[in-house]
Formats: sequence, structure tokens, C-alpha cells
Amino acid sequence: MMGVIQQLREQAKKLLEEKKVDLVIGFGQGTELARTTPVFIDSPEGVSALTWGPFCANNLAKYLIDYKNAPGNVAVVVKGCDSRSVIRLLDDNQISRDKVVIIGVPCAGQLEWQKVAAEVKPGAGLKETADNGESFSVKTDAGDYSFNKKDYMLHRCLVCENPNPVISDITVGKELPVKNYEERFAEVSELEQMSTEEKSAYWDKQFSRCLRCYACRNVCSVCTCQVCVFDQMLPMWVSKRTNLSENTVFHITRAFHVAGRCVDCGECDRVCPMDIPLRKLNQLSPLGEFKPEDPEEFM
Amino acid sequence: MEARIVKKGQLSELLDKLAQEYDLVAPVQEETLTFFRKVSGAKDVFLEYTNSDVSPKGCFLPQNEKTFNYTYTGDSLEIVKPGDEKKTVLFGARPCDARAITTLDPVFEGEKFGDEYYSSKRENTVIIGLSCSKVLSTCFCYAFDGGPCDGTGSDLLFTEIGDKYYVEVNTEKGKVLADKYSQIFSSQGADQLAKGKEEIAKKLAGEFVRKVDLTGVKELLDDNFELPFWNGDDYKKCIGCGTCTYVCPTCHCFDIFDHTIGDFNGARFRCWDSCMYPEYTLMAGGHNPRPTRKERVRNRFMHKLKYHLDRYNMVGCVGCGRCIRKCPVNIDITKIINDLKEVAQNA
Amino acid sequence: MPNPTALTPYPVTITKIVDETSDVKTFTVVFDDPEIMENFGNKPGQVCMLSVFGEGESTISITSAPTRGKFLEFTVKRVGRLTDVLHQMEVGQKFGVRGPYGNWFPFDIMKGKDLFFVGGGFALAPIRSLIDYALSDQYRSDYGKVEILYGSRSYDDLCFKSDLFERWPGLSNTAIYTTVDRGDENWKGRVGHVPGYVEEVAPSPENKFAIIAGPPIMIKFALPVMEKLGFKDEQIITTLEMRMKCCLGKCGRCNIGSKFVCVDGPVFSLAQLKNMPQEY
Repeated sequence: MMGVIQQLREQAKKLLEEKKVDLVIGFGQGTELARTTPVFIDSPEGVSALTWGPFCANNLAKYLIDYKNAPGNVAVVVKGCDSRSVIRLLDDNQISRDKVVIIGVPCAGQLEWQKVAAEVKPGAGLKETADNGESFSVKTDAGDYSFNKKDYMLHRCLVCENPNPVISDITVGKELPVKNYEERFAEVSELEQMSTEEKSAYWDKQFSRCLRCYACRNVCSVCTCQVCVFDQMLPMWVSKRTNLSENTVFHITRAFHVAGRCVDCGECDRVCPMDIPLRKLNQLSPLGEFKPEDPEEFM
Repeated sequence: MEARIVKKGQLSELLDKLAQEYDLVAPVQEETLTFFRKVSGAKDVFLEYTNSDVSPKGCFLPQNEKTFNYTYTGDSLEIVKPGDEKKTVLFGARPCDARAITTLDPVFEGEKFGDEYYSSKRENTVIIGLSCSKVLSTCFCYAFDGGPCDGTGSDLLFTEIGDKYYVEVNTEKGKVLADKYSQIFSSQGADQLAKGKEEIAKKLAGEFVRKVDLTGVKELLDDNFELPFWNGDDYKKCIGCGTCTYVCPTCHCFDIFDHTIGDFNGARFRCWDSCMYPEYTLMAGGHNPRPTRKERVRNRFMHKLKYHLDRYNMVGCVGCGRCIRKCPVNIDITKIINDLKEVAQNA
Repeated sequence: MPNPTALTPYPVTITKIVDETSDVKTFTVVFDDPEIMENFGNKPGQVCMLSVFGEGESTISITSAPTRGKFLEFTVKRVGRLTDVLHQMEVGQKFGVRGPYGNWFPFDIMKGKDLFFVGGGFALAPIRSLIDYALSDQYRSDYGKVEILYGSRSYDDLCFKSDLFERWPGLSNTAIYTTVDRGDENWKGRVGHVPGYVEEVAPSPENKFAIIAGPPIMIKFALPVMEKLGFKDEQIITTLEMRMKCCLGKCGRCNIGSKFVCVDGPVFSLAQLKNMPQEY
């Protein structure tokens, strides 16, 4: 990935030097070997903080909203999934196209950092990563590792149909072959096999764990209300009490609110500290789309 | 200090007995996560964990707590408070979490006002700590004088040594419990295991990978509220969720509100709240003293590293590392500490 | 003695309601339990948590001085749901009160001194307890001249009109200055902002405490005037408002730096405030 990192830095530097943007939002090395963290670079000297690899799970698109009223332009590094978020934000009039420079990077998948951390020697420093098709190789100063995608990748990446950004001004790295996955909705199909009672029991178990930290909402590039209904105090629609009833109201309302607009970036799923399978909830038909022929009782 | 031995083979028996006589709260596994929950016996208890996903502080400050029921008609008012707490044993708290409870004590039991809800749980609960057998890459309890085998906050501390638990009796409360089950808590040969525990503690102390140096940090924060540092990436990348505060064993903020049932009845609750939420400090008139994420992020770390220390002479962090593991954007308190140390050095 | 360790409110009954302005009412209440009323022990400047069942709690300053009798007065502005419901209540109805909380005006240190009160709009409410305390028969001789400079947007927005125009002016060694931002047919007095009037009245800082409460914009412009007149930071006392939930120093939200406004405040001198983060 060294080539991509180098190119990324060069492109970012150029944008900042030529004053085409005031800020570049990208990935920087995090405090764990297998984690990156968002970085906000406002000077050409700062671009060395930029990195790329299989540990760039975060979707940086939502940060664009923070800068929509900033005087200058902003560049953002996006993967395929993140680029769909950018389109969402543009469609929702959250950001204006002429103020954003999209740096697209084809992405071969993202690894779950916790799984990688469990294998790598604690405290090891990252040297290099490379995509080997079925696996990623990770070179560290405490030895080399290989992580096969099937076992270590984020679920959402296993069925990704947009490895290449669908919108970008600058593309860094080689375009990747696009695959279609029939099993994309396999987990949902499994759920649909369940009886109503089983489904209800399944979700009750998931929702009852919810801490109501709102990480899923805050990370979501579709959740852009200025005052969210769950934060509103006058009236207070949902209380701060965490119990199955209040939690269910939260999750069902949220799912409905993103229905038809969710870009399936999977961030809600990734950030949930309680491992609630939110992506599965979002993918659920009929929450995913409305059709004119839907039975009226459903509404 | 007194010590006992519990044979590993007898742990199930002990847990079953405790569950019969007390409310036993212990680590349980739910899917991929570990929580502290009330259990019916040893069969529910999960001990293969390094640290739970949510801290056991909820034993004393539950995420949801009813403070009273009321019947109110406008002209009449009746308030009924919940009854006494049940005798509880909290089993398996890791040393960081047990220590964390000692940082909550002065908040709820000190200063000008006590807190009957917290205190009654605290009084009625025996904490059995369980020394760590593994150090995670996110752990840094040593930075705050804690340690993987530290007994602060535990009435009894269990340390696994081979096929036995070496049990340190740290408080009178712990002694009473150990004496009650003296056929399981054996005194014989306990002293000989003390050295074994020390060795384990020493070995684990060498496994920390995070270097955390607090030199000059408190002094820097004492003298500087406004620092260019707070304008950096840490607040920009914060998404403003409450994850860090909800998984934190020392965060104690709460909200209070009423839940009406029918026309005249209701209950008042207190629930965890998070200083990361915008409405946390939002006043009814619309003014917000901490209007942006910058102020909120600063407040959280100032609280951990300065305010708690100023008020209670205790650091408001125990180094459990949960906020580091769970933060969606990798905001890392150890990095913040080290960055602040650097700012202090270059000042 | 009310149990200060409890989050439990005690029932009070409303005995009187005064409409101060279109959105401000003063409620006079007494505890249903006479023992609690007798031993409440509130000091001027302290606050209480008012419980409106079904809506929760809100921090409201005690507007009455303990010297005025065995009752409490709360002056409440309608700003949200809780205060909305409170405003619909009638004499004879009940709500809950717990307290008293927080520190109080340093009336001991103020002994022998003149007091100059500066109030704006609704914010005369939190300092009225000290005014009445200093003007009470019991303690009047402890203090020198008591001057009250108070202004609001219009005549209709002046709170405590009976105090301002009837009760206080007749008392000895007292001066009342009132002003409104916009005059109308009901107003024959001065028109102008509070800070400008302070400059005009020009109180001497000698042997005097200034007690200031008002909207942030008024405070912002009044403080430089006080400074110009020679008032030292230690001589300027104010009271702060923050969102609070427990009022016991536990729920976290009302901190300014290491201080909790609910237990370390709400009364602070300007000297103290200057040593605290500007986060309020």
C-alpha cells in the first residue's frame, strides 16, 4: 500500500499548496497498530500524517457537514462505501459539490481491528500492509502476519459491490474488479425465515443491550437532522431510560428514518459498543424500501 | 493482611452458595460481550474474560434507577420510596473496576450531601475482586497506581495461582464473608502463596505496552484552561456519542426525570447521562455553556485529569482502557495525556 | 430538618400567586409538614429544586428572605414545560420542594457596609432575598445604605412592582432607581439601559458591596462601569445560573472548572469568577 500512501500524500499536498482546499480529511495512524484515526490536515507539511491500508474502516464523509459553512473547500478521502455517503449528503443538500474535493481510493476491504489486535504482539509497530487477494499481509516490527479476508474482514466488506468509489475528483490507486454477491442479503434472508415470535425475540435480545450512546446515529451520514427527535427536550419523545420499550422505539424509529436512504456503509454496525447488528436491521425489507403495492396494513 | 485459599474446584460451590444467600452479580457472556449481571449460580458465570464491555459500576449506580413512586392529583401528593437493598455480592470485578468504585465513593458519600441510593447498595454489597491474568494493549492502570493484582476497592481479592485462588482479605466485610464460608476459604498454607501472587503481579506489570506519563499534566491544566491543544484533531474527530462515558467505570453523571403512569401516578428516575451530549448543559432559556464538541471534549478530559483530582484528591480515570477500545474514532486518553505532557514540557 | 441526603422532595402548598409580568409569576408556598418549614434554614441566595410531578425538577432561587416569615417564595419565568405547568397551578395546589442548596450571599462579611444592588429583568429574583434580609427589622442596623438599581425592557417587564414602588421606597436609608429600555404610556420614569444608569448614579465604591444579577449582556456592559467607578473584584458579587439535575454536586453538569455551581455557588465574587474558566 506504500504506493497509494505516497500518492495520497502528494495529492493532498498539491491541493493544499495550490490552495484548492483549506483542509484535507483523511486517515492517520491510530494508537493501536490495527487502527487508524481521522486526521484533519490544514498545511502541506501535515500530509505525512496520511495513511492508507486495511485499517481504514471509518467513513469520513460525515465530517463534511462540520465544514459546510467553513469559508474554504475541503478534501476528503473516501472508499467505495464512503463515496455513496458523499452522494447521499449531496442529494440531501447537506454539502455543496463545489466546496468538496473527493479523493477516492479503491478499497480491497477493511479488517476488524480487534481481531487483528488479538493476533499481533501487543505494542508492535506497523511497517507495511499489502493486499494479496484472499488475504492481507501485515508487516510489523515484531514480525509479519497474514490475515485472510474471510475471517478477519468486516462483514460489510465481504459482500461489497463498490470497491471503487462511485464519485471522486481524484482517484488514487488501481481500480479493483467489481463483484456481485448473491449472498449479500443472506443474513436478512435467514431472519426472514424466522416466525414473528422468533424475530421479535431476536430483536428484543439485541435492543435490550443498547446503552443509548447514539454512536450509530452520530456516525451515520444519513442522520443529519439539526435537532434529532431523540435529543429534543420539548417535548421529550423518548426518555433516557434504557429499557426494551424505549430502546425499541429508538431503533425502530431510526431504522425507519434511514429506510430508503441508508447507503449501507455499515458504520452503525461497526461503532456499536454493544454489537447490535444494526446493518441487518437497516437491510431488512420492508424497511429498506416502500412500494406502491405494499399492503396498507403495513403502513 | 489476612489471606485464604479457595481451591479452583470449589469455586462453583462457592458461587452457588453465594447465589442462594445473596444477589450474586458476576460476569456473564452474551454473544460476543461480557456484562455484569445477576446470576442464579456458577453455571451462568463466565470467567474467561479480560475485562467486561460495560463496567460493574451499575451495581451501585444503575443505568436506570427509580428513586420513588408518586401519586399526585394537584391537591394531594404521596411519595413512596423503594425498600431496602438486598444483600449483594459482586464477584469478579477486575482491579481497575474495583478501584473505580473508590473514585465514586467521595462523589456520592462525601462533601455536603450523601446519596441514600448509592450508599445503601454500597453498604449491602461485598466486592470480590479478581486479579487479571492478562494485560490488554489498551490497559494502563499502572499509570494511576493501580495494577492487575491490586486490591484497592475489593473486600476480597482472588488471584489465580495454579489450581487455587489466593484470596486476600482486605476489609472486615470481606473477612465476615470468608469466615461465613470457612469450609471453602481455607486458611491453611495461604501465606505460602503470597510470593506466588507477587510474582504474577510482577510478570503482568511487565506486559503493559502503553507508556503513559502524567508528569506536568495536572500542573499544565491547573494553569491553562485555554490551550491550542484543545483545538486539535481530538475534538474535530469526536462524533459526540456517549460511548466513552457509558462504558467508563468512573463517569457518574446522571439525569433525573419523571415517568407518568396514568393520570395521577408516576415514578421518578435517574439515569446515566453523558457530558458528550449537547443538551447535557443546555439551559431552558436556550443558553449552552458548552456549546460545541470542543468544550465538551475538553470538559471530559479535564474532568478525568484535573477536576476530579481537585475535588476528591483522586484521578478520575483508572486506566481500564474501555473508552480507547470502544471509541468509534480512536480518541485515546493515553495519547491525550502524553500529548499534554509534551505541551507541558515545551511550555 | 429536611433530609439533605435524599433526592426526595417534600410537599408544599401554594398559598399565594402574584403575576409579576406576562411570563413571570411569584409563588408563595408553605411545607405541609410544619416541622420542615420551621427548620428549613434557608439563607439569602440559596436555591431549591422544585418538583412538578410528571415533568421533573428545576432549580429555582428562593426569592424570599427567611426574615419575612415561615414561607418560601419562588419567582418563576415560563421558559419550558415544567415552568409551563407550574404557571397553570392555582392557590391550594401542591408541588414538591427540596433544598435549600448552594452557598449564600456573604451577608456576614457585608455587615457594616453599604449595599448597591444592580438587577436586570427577571434577575432581580435571586437577589431580592438579600435585599429583604438587609432591609428586615432584625438586621437593618447591620447594614448601611441600601440602594437598588433595577431595569427591564419595559414597564410591563418590571418584576416585584409592589416592592419597588410601595414596600421598599418608604424604608429609611434606602434608594430605588428604576429604568426601562423602552418607555410607554404607563411609564413616567427614566428610559435607558441599566449600565448607563449605573454610570449616571455613580455609586462610590467606598465601604460598599455591589450585588449584580441580570442577563449576560447586561452583566457584560455593567462590569466595566463598576470597574471604572473603582469597585474592586472582591466588592462585586453575582449569582450564576446553570442547568442542574441533582443540586447535590453529583450529576455533573453544572461544573465551571472544578467548581460545581450547585454546591460551591451559585454566589460568586467577580474575583472568584476571574479565577475560573469562562464556561458559563
